[in-house]
Amino acid sequence: MATIDIVDLKKNYGSVPAVRGVSLSVADGELIVLVGPSGCGKSTLLRMIAGLEAVSEGKIEIAGRNVNNAEPAQRDIAMVFQNYALYPHMTVRGNLEYGLKNRGTPRAEIDRRVQEAADILEIGPMLERKPRELSGGQRQRVAMGRAIVREPAAFLFDEPLSNLDAKLRVQMRVEIRRLQRRLKTTSIYVTHDQLEAMTLADRLVVMNGGLVEQIGSPVEVYDRPASLFVAGFIGSPPMNLMPIEIVNGSNGANALGLPVGTDIVGVRPDELSLVEPPEPSIRLDATAELLEPIGGESHLHVRLGESDHTAILSVPGRPDVAEAAKFPVYARVKEMHPFSRETGKRTDVACAL
Amino acid sequence: MVENRPFLNFLAHLVLIVGAAVVVFPVYVAFIASTHGGNDFLSGIVPLVPGPHLVENYATMLSAGMTSSGAPPIGPMMINSLVMAVGVAVGKIVISILSAFAIVYFRFPFRTLAFWMIFITLMLPVEVRIVPTFKVVADLGLLNNYGGLIIPLIASATATFLFRQFFLTVPEELMEAARVDGAGPMKFFRDILLPLSTTNIAALFIILFVLGWNQYLWPLLISTDQSLYTVVMGIQRMAAVADAEPRWNLVMAAVILAALPPVLVILAMQRLFVKGLVETEK
Repeated sequence: MATIDIVDLKKNYGSVPAVRGVSLSVADGELIVLVGPSGCGKSTLLRMIAGLEAVSEGKIEIAGRNVNNAEPAQRDIAMVFQNYALYPHMTVRGNLEYGLKNRGTPRAEIDRRVQEAADILEIGPMLERKPRELSGGQRQRVAMGRAIVREPAAFLFDEPLSNLDAKLRVQMRVEIRRLQRRLKTTSIYVTHDQLEAMTLADRLVVMNGGLVEQIGSPVEVYDRPASLFVAGFIGSPPMNLMPIEIVNGSNGANALGLPVGTDIVGVRPDELSLVEPPEPSIRLDATAELLEPIGGESHLHVRLGESDHTAILSVPGRPDVAEAAKFPVYARVKEMHPFSRETGKRTDVACAL
Repeated sequence: MVENRPFLNFLAHLVLIVGAAVVVFPVYVAFIASTHGGNDFLSGIVPLVPGPHLVENYATMLSAGMTSSGAPPIGPMMINSLVMAVGVAVGKIVISILSAFAIVYFRFPFRTLAFWMIFITLMLPVEVRIVPTFKVVADLGLLNNYGGLIIPLIASATATFLFRQFFLTVPEELMEAARVDGAGPMKFFRDILLPLSTTNIAALFIILFVLGWNQYLWPLLISTDQSLYTVVMGIQRMAAVADAEPRWNLVMAAVILAALPPVLVILAMQRLFVKGLVETEK
């Protein structure tokens, strides 16, 4: 139970900056997900919070205490690693107990906590086994158990699900969420998988190039991406980003009621439609290039007008569209996200960052 | 490798059998020689079938030894060899595992330089530095005692290198998990690294034990006192007699006895040894 405050945190490897000034306040019991492409500094940020990397500049406070120079063990945090990092020569029980033993926790208390964690995670029958005798999902549970028994101020997850197969990943994702809700422990979770990020997070932190692009609830980030990067990164298939000339010819942004300075317009694939909506909308000429049926809906790739610009539509069902067919698509003005190419930011009311 | 060609099978077995025979034959001759009487060798023909004096020869060796030819009884010599071999093996393992731990897990100035200096000494055999080493040992007053036998041989570049290579394969996350779990460096070493290294330690122990047991030149230089003779140099003394034929039957009995302890160590630790050399999954 604790808050985590990060103030203008920086990390340089020699002259190469990995994290270039991140500020973040994590409320008590909140689950924050750091998401971004590889090399964006999210793992480095987490490892600095854990105390595994030295801080170059800035401040980290856990529960109001400055921990910049504290050893990981003194920070009252528990970490779940990507490859689980279970001690291979110890039994599951040994793995769970190790951290508690090092802290001199009384025997009875250790047994109680191990039993409790084993019950929560349903790993009771495996307590006397070695990690190599467990499946990937079970190892994952043990790794979580090792964090739980410590009853720490905060959990830190470093891409804990990326070594699992797709089905198990979905299942463990739900479990992690349920567990975190139940224990109400402040958590920071790193992932590059935006679906995982969207479903787990109380708040999302989208990172790029060592900087925070946007902080907000998953819905906020999805509905009002603060920058071109966020718009392109969050959402699958990604948002269509089109130059204003393609959308509205030479009339420019003002004619659509979009703010001055808008030269890129973003529209989510499911907000482009083949039928004209009742609300004000614009009409774009499209040529079908490819139809990808993915089950309940289809992704339709089209070329816009006479340009080389392509867009993706998510359309329900399996529309009967032949390749190279020409047809109009409609985008509602209300659903357009205005961006400036120069600053890379949103041009309407800026989001709180 | 999955080919099934009778001729290749035959060839493979032929090579293996010839190889085994080449290795085993001298041992066989030594054993046969140790079962004959003292006069059977004067004819110059090496006997190839066992003789009747097996018990007698070994009993002589174990009780009196060849005191007549200036060699002490074999028992104390074997004890000396054992002390030296175990001392060298244990010492080498302790020192090299600690140096490898330092080189892999700690950041200190000239770390790489230190490693490469250790690595380069791999190329220097003991004989190259034997005179200066002898001078140092003599000045330290270590001649004619176990310290002088063991200590100069105790640092091992090979073992350090092997442990370093093994430590590099241990995932870094294990060390980080241990740090988060509140284990300091030495606790991590004792609780995690050491148990993971057991098979490697066993494999190295065998190699180093045999190496220590077979030391010849160094004990020859250091021990001038009979009570410190090791068995390998003792055999040489038995065989080098002036103005007479060596008593080959007794010499060979000593040879067989001297070969036994390394064989026993290998038999006892064989499974760990093989595991340590081939195991890849950590």
